[in-house]
Amino acid sequence: MLSEILTLWARYDLTARTIEHLTMFAVALTFAFIIGILVGVLLYRHEKYAGPVLNVLNVVETFPDLALLVLLIPLVGIGAAPTIVACVLYSILPIARNAYTGLSHVSREQIDVAEALGLTGNEILLYIRIPLSLPLIAGGVRIAIVFTMGIVTLGGLIGAGGLGAPLQTGIFINIPMLIVTAGIWVGILAVVLDGLAGIAETWLAGRFGEW
Amino acid sequence: MPSPRLFERIDRVELKNLIKRYGDSIAVDDLTLDVTGGELLILIGGSGSGKTTTLRMINRLIEPEAGTVSINGTDIRTVDPVALRRNIGYVIQQIGLFPHMTVRDNIGLIPRLEGWDDAAITTRVEVLLELVDLPPEMFIDRYPRQLSGGQQQRIGLARALAMDPPLLLMDEPFGALDPILRKQLQEEFSKIKEDLGRTIVFVTHDIDEAFRLGDRIAIMHDARIIQVGKPEELILDPASDLVSKLVDADRKFRHIDNLTVRDLMRPVTRRYFFEGGMPIGPALLAMMEDDLGLVIVTDTASGTGILNRRDAFTHRNDPVTVGDVARRPLVFAPGDSATEALRVLKRKKSPFALVMDRETPAGLFFSDEVLMRLI
Amino acid sequence: MVAIETIALATFHHMVLAYTALLVGIGISIPLAVLSLYSRRFASVVITGANLVQAVPSLAVVAVFVPLIGIGFWPAILAIVLRALLPIIKNTWIGLSAVDPAVIDSARGIGLTDWQIVRHIRFPLAYPAMFAGIKFAAILANSLAILTAIIGSGGLGSIVFEGMASVNIAKLMAGAVPAICLAILIDATFSALERRLTPSFMRE
Repeated sequence: MLSEILTLWARYDLTARTIEHLTMFAVALTFAFIIGILVGVLLYRHEKYAGPVLNVLNVVETFPDLALLVLLIPLVGIGAAPTIVACVLYSILPIARNAYTGLSHVSREQIDVAEALGLTGNEILLYIRIPLSLPLIAGGVRIAIVFTMGIVTLGGLIGAGGLGAPLQTGIFINIPMLIVTAGIWVGILAVVLDGLAGIAETWLAGRFGEW
Repeated sequence: MPSPRLFERIDRVELKNLIKRYGDSIAVDDLTLDVTGGELLILIGGSGSGKTTTLRMINRLIEPEAGTVSINGTDIRTVDPVALRRNIGYVIQQIGLFPHMTVRDNIGLIPRLEGWDDAAITTRVEVLLELVDLPPEMFIDRYPRQLSGGQQQRIGLARALAMDPPLLLMDEPFGALDPILRKQLQEEFSKIKEDLGRTIVFVTHDIDEAFRLGDRIAIMHDARIIQVGKPEELILDPASDLVSKLVDADRKFRHIDNLTVRDLMRPVTRRYFFEGGMPIGPALLAMMEDDLGLVIVTDTASGTGILNRRDAFTHRNDPVTVGDVARRPLVFAPGDSATEALRVLKRKKSPFALVMDRETPAGLFFSDEVLMRLI
Repeated sequence: MVAIETIALATFHHMVLAYTALLVGIGISIPLAVLSLYSRRFASVVITGANLVQAVPSLAVVAVFVPLIGIGFWPAILAIVLRALLPIIKNTWIGLSAVDPAVIDSARGIGLTDWQIVRHIRFPLAYPAMFAGIKFAAILANSLAILTAIIGSGGLGSIVFEGMASVNIAKLMAGAVPAICLAILIDATFSALERRLTPSFMRE
């Protein structure tokens, strides 16, 4: 059985697929993180938009992932581009919402103390609010990691490569061992990444306080 | 199916050689205690002394490792725990009202599970609300979060009495309330107790409360009972230094001759002041919302008066004002000697007096509280 | 172009798929959540399991079902159920177990049986959390019901996959747009229901 797996692994070049997969994942998550934090900070700066913006993002969140991917094809073509855009669209909400909640819910006393020490508004944001929001932001990133992993895998169906591609091949030309190998492998990757994010979250929460 | 009525009255609750351990620590160590029918027995001790564990073994919320609890000679292990608990009232400090149920449903839940019809439940709930001084028409449909702490505790007591249990277990029921309200509830409670003639086991860590309410007091320390007796026995004949220290807690008040009324009174704040012209209905409402048992009525025809909650409750539907119902209290000045003030209270058989600093009410002076601090 | 009847039929099929799975999921997960109240170990297995499986990409979950039980409507239902179970179990369990211990203690103290405590105290207090889990599961089921067309479930997903095979944008939209509309509808319906069902003791 092991030799069968190794043969399949080589024939369908799962090493290259894994690298593709993780590259897309890293690119998507980086964009999602930057945009998510930016949106979070903007919402914190302009509270009155927070409700409507979060509501819209909430609705996007309910879209079936495959339907959203497909919807993006006429706009950005097939392959990695719609995959990454879809990942970002799904991941903005958890990151932005948690960043916004974290930033705006820092306790009044801590802000008072910072102001009394003579910190400016931006310094308070940078040195007080952001560090104190880190555990919550980490929680949002962790959710984004799960979304991103799921959608990058779906990307295989619209020509983005990655580990979704061998899954599709396995289903279409019926190679059970390929499905199982690629399926379990991507499952392990997802669980490990989520686990690492969980450890980071716990560590940050232990350091900066529990929410 | 309705639970059987296990006992009409309590003759005796016997706790015999009870042992309970949690891991390596012993919570109750070979405890033996007799509760006589009709008495209010206090279990007092510090945290971790085993008093709550002991209480909870009486309604089988905790099962002892060794020893027996029997009620009127029946070993409670032979009784279904659910049936047992429906025959024993239970009140805890955190109250534990069901947040999703109205006052009616909270009090009426067990009657409903026992198969009572709606009319009977409503009647019972109304009787119990009257008993705890809450006008049923105002409170029956409220949810717990719409009640103040004191009101919640009254409902907790009413719920415990729903099935008219002859035995009542209370675990620091007034522990979370502010001092004046606490006193008020203690007084009302001791009246209820006399009216109903129930047997009560009452856990507290507050020696004042123990002396105020207890017929007998069992002092617990390190999982054991170190002395059981009437309050005066504990004072006159303490079994150990620990007991004498406990009953003697406030040494600083020993030299009563040097003390003035100001030293022993309870100060009052603005919310205790009501104007004499206020109609009684809204006044009762305000007293209930703020959990006030006694208020000071200003600007009446005859000077400053005192309105107690019971009187306000009785007259709640009459077309009278606060000034009409208020009573004339005894009045002291803050500088009066405490000994002299106590003598006057005793002679006039009054439980308390108003302390006036010239024209301004400054506080309330309760006789039992003063005595409690002096014992 | 895609005939309107084809879309309507596929939408109906899609809804049957998603809601059958959702109902089966509710039916399985609520008893499991109640059971996990009675065994701490069982609860930790269920919750850890739920968290782990939640992280696995849904395409992997759906794909792995093929070698196990083949393709078609019922394997698709099974795949969706497995996914939809998790948020319901987790939320129900959180709701049931997050009840104030003092409330449970007093309920026991005044003589409620274990079952009566679950029925009259824990469940009503868990409804909001349970409902949130069901809402999430409904959205998930709607999403997965598209993907399961890859293992032959039929429905809107088959139109999408046909569109992909022939790179036919009109077909892609004919499958995707109704699914997105359904998602918005589900979200709106459940949110409205949520407001209606919010127990009066939680309203101001």
